[in-house]
Amino acid sequence: MTAFILRRALLAIPTLIFISFIAFVIIQLPPGDYITAYAAELRHQGEYITEAQEAALRAQYGLSDPLLVQYWRWISNIVFRGDFGYSLHWNAPVSSLIWDRLSITLAISAVSLVFTWLIAIPVGVYSATRQYSVLDYVFTVFGFLGKGTPDFLLALILMWISFVYLNLDVGGLFSARYQHAPWSLDKVLDLLSHVWIPLVVLATGGAAGLIRVMRANMLDELGKPYVETAYAQGLSESKVVWNYPVRVALNPFISTVGWALPALFSGDIITAVVLNLPTTGPLLLQALKMQDMYLAGSFILILSAFTVIGTLISDVLLAWFDPRIRYA
Amino acid sequence: MTAKKWIARLAIAAMAATALASPAWAFQEAPMLTEMVKAGSLPPVDERLPTNPTVVDALSVGQYGGTWHRAYSGPGDRWGPTKLMEERVLKWTADPNGEAVLKPGYIESYSVNDTSTEFTFTLLDGLKWSDGHPVTTEDVAFWYNDVFLNPAIVPNIDPTFAPGGVPMQVEIKDARTFTVKFAQPYVYFLQILAKDSTGEPSLDRPSFLFPKHYLSQYNDKYASEAELEAAAKKFNVAKWTDLWGSKGAATAWWSNPDLPVLTAWKIETPAPAEIVTMVRNPYYYAVDQEGNQLPYVDRIEHKLYQDPETLALMVAQGQIDMQARGMNLDNYTFYKENEERGNYKVVPGRDSNVWSIIPNLTVKDPVLQDLFQNADFRQALSVAVDREAIVELTQSGLAKAMAVAPVNGSPYHKDELSAHWAEYDPENADALLDGLGLTERDKDGFRLRSDGQRLSLAIESSDAAHAKTLELLSGMYAEVGIELLPRIIDRTQWDNNRDNNDFQLQWIPFDRLTYVPADPRLMLGSQSYGTEYFKWYQTDGESGIEPPKGSAILAMFDAWDRASQAKSIEEADAAVNEMIATFVDQGYAIGVYGEGVLVNIVSNKMHNVQADLVQDDITRGVGIARTQQFWLDQN
Repeated sequence: MTAFILRRALLAIPTLIFISFIAFVIIQLPPGDYITAYAAELRHQGEYITEAQEAALRAQYGLSDPLLVQYWRWISNIVFRGDFGYSLHWNAPVSSLIWDRLSITLAISAVSLVFTWLIAIPVGVYSATRQYSVLDYVFTVFGFLGKGTPDFLLALILMWISFVYLNLDVGGLFSARYQHAPWSLDKVLDLLSHVWIPLVVLATGGAAGLIRVMRANMLDELGKPYVETAYAQGLSESKVVWNYPVRVALNPFISTVGWALPALFSGDIITAVVLNLPTTGPLLLQALKMQDMYLAGSFILILSAFTVIGTLISDVLLAWFDPRIRYA
Repeated sequence: MTAKKWIARLAIAAMAATALASPAWAFQEAPMLTEMVKAGSLPPVDERLPTNPTVVDALSVGQYGGTWHRAYSGPGDRWGPTKLMEERVLKWTADPNGEAVLKPGYIESYSVNDTSTEFTFTLLDGLKWSDGHPVTTEDVAFWYNDVFLNPAIVPNIDPTFAPGGVPMQVEIKDARTFTVKFAQPYVYFLQILAKDSTGEPSLDRPSFLFPKHYLSQYNDKYASEAELEAAAKKFNVAKWTDLWGSKGAATAWWSNPDLPVLTAWKIETPAPAEIVTMVRNPYYYAVDQEGNQLPYVDRIEHKLYQDPETLALMVAQGQIDMQARGMNLDNYTFYKENEERGNYKVVPGRDSNVWSIIPNLTVKDPVLQDLFQNADFRQALSVAVDREAIVELTQSGLAKAMAVAPVNGSPYHKDELSAHWAEYDPENADALLDGLGLTERDKDGFRLRSDGQRLSLAIESSDAAHAKTLELLSGMYAEVGIELLPRIIDRTQWDNNRDNNDFQLQWIPFDRLTYVPADPRLMLGSQSYGTEYFKWYQTDGESGIEPPKGSAILAMFDAWDRASQAKSIEEADAAVNEMIATFVDQGYAIGVYGEGVLVNIVSNKMHNVQADLVQDDITRGVGIARTQQFWLDQN
């Protein structure tokens, strides 16, 4: 096992180097550079900088240097000094931007992931064991509706309802007066009145898909001889279902933990933009749009690292969870 | 208004500023500062203010205190906060009728010599930085010798400050007086200062001044290499020159709370905070007519938003006290509907943009190039547009149908210019197109070009909000046999296409139509109909494309050359008017609608916000409204 983990960890290094380089190049591929995007943004707001000023900024940020030089400047600082560089757009160190927002992102995503599983697993199991029952149809309809409605649209609808009918303050995580206030009961209540929309949106969107997966896996398993044998032995239904087929049907969940990790980090970008959440997703989107390559590149590097680590974790988990894999 | 009146107005404003201030006044200050004075952390107000502070005539004498809430869309929006508190030696301010007037800021007086080559300024007596350190001409000398003329910080001096290729010279007279000299007459220098300040790296800063007592520690003339390296490390930047510039870690007011400033507010919590805050400068040099030190408002908070619709929601929820930036006319009904709920009013401003169709005179397709360069073709494109219909259908009737010309309220405005080729006349358009030999048509009724292809033109816009307008235009052009293909593309791509001479038509907001000579580049074709021609003009023929012999654009370049070297403002204005007349007469840009309503969201608690003020980069956006005299009801 240790050798297995070690081998996988070593393989991750060239993968990460490769990804970081490709990411850096792709970010730079669109015509122009950060200064072009910056000047364009200014122009859009009715402000102008002259070409001389653009040239001065370009020289200051070293954007006229060859791509390889820029890449080396960035990656060598990360490797040797753990310094992710400087966001051109925010005029601030990348690390100060990312880690600040990461805790909120992780909290929201993790809670919504737990909700997703809490909804998806029981509902999926019920739908499979009571196939073609009335409730199965109801869940199926909601499942398809949930899967078919884009998350951001659901977010907009919920925001509209809370704004027009419930008279709630929507958008962001706190009302203006609690933003800088120290933690108190009122602040927690204020947070709860804001945070339910993203949680509902993210949980339902994810759950709808997972219900379908769970139901299909369960249906595969329920017909197998070992289930019949278990029933024949006189075991109760709940004991049979939860102890055997559910465990097997959970395999796909575990092997996708690897994807959940980077998804936790990037969040649901469009939903976060719509809801004005201070998470990492909108920051990444903005960085890509502005060709803020050190910020965007560091983001993608961290995302890739998480994907690699996540895949490793799911492999280990799967081996631990399913003896068939362990002994295969 | 004639140019003479403008000059007179400048002079009166200058005199008024000195005459009104009388040292016999007792000055009052904000309660927030009184507390600090009592606690001993701040000297009394009379010691903080200049002997004769500048008087800002508040629309009504206000109450101190409160926080002004607004929103910002990210670091690229930092000019939003900047324009709330920019300081210039002379600054565009609105008079009680809403007209733009240049008024002295932190100077006591100024004078210009007969040939407009020397400009002398005298700083206010007792002027102080926000940390209490006196402002003297030592700060001017520091800015000039150690920053402006320092190639490490300013590698290339902007031509704006080096007319004729010779950088401006600064001569210090005494502790408060200095003279700026040019090698050739420069009549519009004061207007340029009011817009661009003294250029990079002081773009976001008061003109001619850098706080020597603070910034010399980051300057290579004063600090050793090791010290500079340490400073760069402290601010977390790669090299010491990154500390400088309008985005520099040390010199940008927006990112460094320690930087001494002259402005009414200074940064307290810089970006990337979720809420950026600015707090009053206890040493601000101006008072209202009753001797109350300005500003009235204690703090300004800018909340980050990601999406324009989120901003609309913040408005409806009453989270915005005063803001025009980011507001969208499309949401006009929404804003009006929620006025009561959000406890605000929509106060109209005047948009100085004219939304226009820009033909690319140097388009790579030779057939189109011939057509675009033909005035008859441009006239046909112009008179085929039913502007009234577009205004009604897309602008709720809140804009005016017009050609691209200086807008109402500009000293260069003439009604006949704004009406040029703006009358809807499809028959005339047909006749003009027939006259160009474009008589053959294909089976769909579109005209054929001389090479037998369908006459179709692609028009690019960077904003999906304008798709409806382009579709309407497309229908109008189909009427006269021209196929118009609307394209909504990414903004960066849209800009690049213009920079790379790679577009046929673009849909742009034509701005800088107020005080034209402060920035005539757009009118001269830059970033517009003749980007390549302007490059040729600017680089003396080194790059770009030479305009055809006898082309009217050469006459415009010539007129601007004469204007920028004229000795008197009358002479210069005559040449500027000539340039404008040629531009309008040629119809290089096809204006559709302009002078629209600009949405200002103003909370019912916020006072002294004037309606109908013009919004333009030249007059510095909201800056013209004199934000330091805004006040929030404290009851």
